[in-house]
Amino acid sequence: MTTDEGIVYDRSLLGVETHIGTFELTREMILGFAKSTGETNPRYLGDDNGAGDVVAPPTICNVFVSGVSRPDIKLEFGEIGFFAGQSIECKAEIRPGDVLSASTKLDNVYAKTGRSGKMVFAVWETQFRNQDDVTVALVTESFVRRNKNR
Amino acid sequence: MKKNLYFEDVEIGDDIGPIKRSVTDEDVIEFVSVRETEITPSRFTSNEVANSEGMPEAIVPGPMNIALMSQILTDWSDTVCLLKIDVVFRQTVPHNTDLTFSGIVTDKDETGNSTKLECDVVMENSDAVKLVIGTGVIALPNKP
Amino acid sequence: MLLDLHTHSVASDDSRATVEQYIKWVNVLRRKGKPIDGFVLTEHRQFDHDVDYTSLASDDGIVILKGAELDTDTGHFLVYGISEQITENLNFSDVNMSAQNLVDICDTYGGIAIPAHPGRAGIGFAEYLDSGVTGFETVKSVEQLNGSNRPGEGEKAESLIKAKGYLGTGGSDAHIVSAIGICMTSFDKEIKNESDLVQELRHGRFTAVRLES
Repeated sequence: MTTDEGIVYDRSLLGVETHIGTFELTREMILGFAKSTGETNPRYLGDDNGAGDVVAPPTICNVFVSGVSRPDIKLEFGEIGFFAGQSIECKAEIRPGDVLSASTKLDNVYAKTGRSGKMVFAVWETQFRNQDDVTVALVTESFVRRNKNR
Repeated sequence: MKKNLYFEDVEIGDDIGPIKRSVTDEDVIEFVSVRETEITPSRFTSNEVANSEGMPEAIVPGPMNIALMSQILTDWSDTVCLLKIDVVFRQTVPHNTDLTFSGIVTDKDETGNSTKLECDVVMENSDAVKLVIGTGVIALPNKP
Repeated sequence: MLLDLHTHSVASDDSRATVEQYIKWVNVLRRKGKPIDGFVLTEHRQFDHDVDYTSLASDDGIVILKGAELDTDTGHFLVYGISEQITENLNFSDVNMSAQNLVDICDTYGGIAIPAHPGRAGIGFAEYLDSGVTGFETVKSVEQLNGSNRPGEGEKAESLIKAKGYLGTGGSDAHIVSAIGICMTSFDKEIKNESDLVQELRHGRFTAVRLES
């Protein structure tokens, strides 16, 4: 990674943990997520009627990626942003009715170049905990900003 | 899906898949609908919006891509427990495109302390361009 | 001797492979009858003088060398034989560093800088030359085979090589374990360390090879 010299953003956010939302995970969300991603494992789909015990697919936390209010790092670069990468470490099962609380902190901001030209990446570490304060997922997300393809 | 795959059955270098599939416009709308009751046109659901953002067509959301990548491993066997999935999105994924999902076992805990394995996972298009790459850590049970 | 001259470990932001895992995979390749003698870690925009893979390498009879892949104003360059003078004279994290200066510094201080994936859009040497960039008289080799090229990029590299009479190296550009060794460089002589590597690259005693799948 490169140093962040020359990249203009709010450096005071680095390492600062922020609560970004509380989400109730319904059975309908689990079944909808599973079905829309083509899951076939009955653990995630229930029986033929969608009844029975289900657990959430391992990447379910992503239901809450969009619409989450991460702090604005006021990055002065790039016309457009994309999701650049993600890691999800599954720490515990997530079930219907679980209420997940998410907190995040900005881990790193750096520049690189690629086929799309210069890019700046912002990396966030996010933790999801359930209503029993059990950590259910540790997520690292990388978002990239660049200029639009012409 | 292979049933009843056990830790002792797997060796470094074993292939997983490949699985061929494509993501349709309807799949993406269904995915986005899980959270949004009203779908507003976006780069994921509208070719026009995607064009305005410099892309030739609507794309598959990243969170959906990682879900599909995780299925390379969870679909391998009912016995797979996915511990971690870690992906890099190297190129946007268009709708309605033939995609190949594959994996390969790259590491196996040989210390006896766990039944963990590590795998590379890849999503390629029909030109063999790797659109998404990554790794997964899984656990398999020991043979009874 | 076959070496993969372009690999990335988890030290690079977009790689998911550890050096230990690459070593295990090299052994897998060897058991499958695929020859590979070692690899060079060319991490993005950084170089660690202190990290030492010698004991890891010798345990398995694999040569592990260190280099870097740097972003410049004329595309990406693979840099080998990185001495302390080179890192003192360059800011490896500057994504817009002068490529001519990079080449000159390497020439001066015992290293060598070779254009990486020269046919790649946006960050390939060929595109910059096509746009009128001049200089680089001491560049004699480019990365001819890159395991992560997309359609057209290899062909553009070949056109450049033909037009300029460059020699060509090979590297996988691996960012995951199983990609290592897809493309490599075959050297006439044994290479034990970075100095040997630079010497053989400068003398042109190599060819790019693609491993049969």
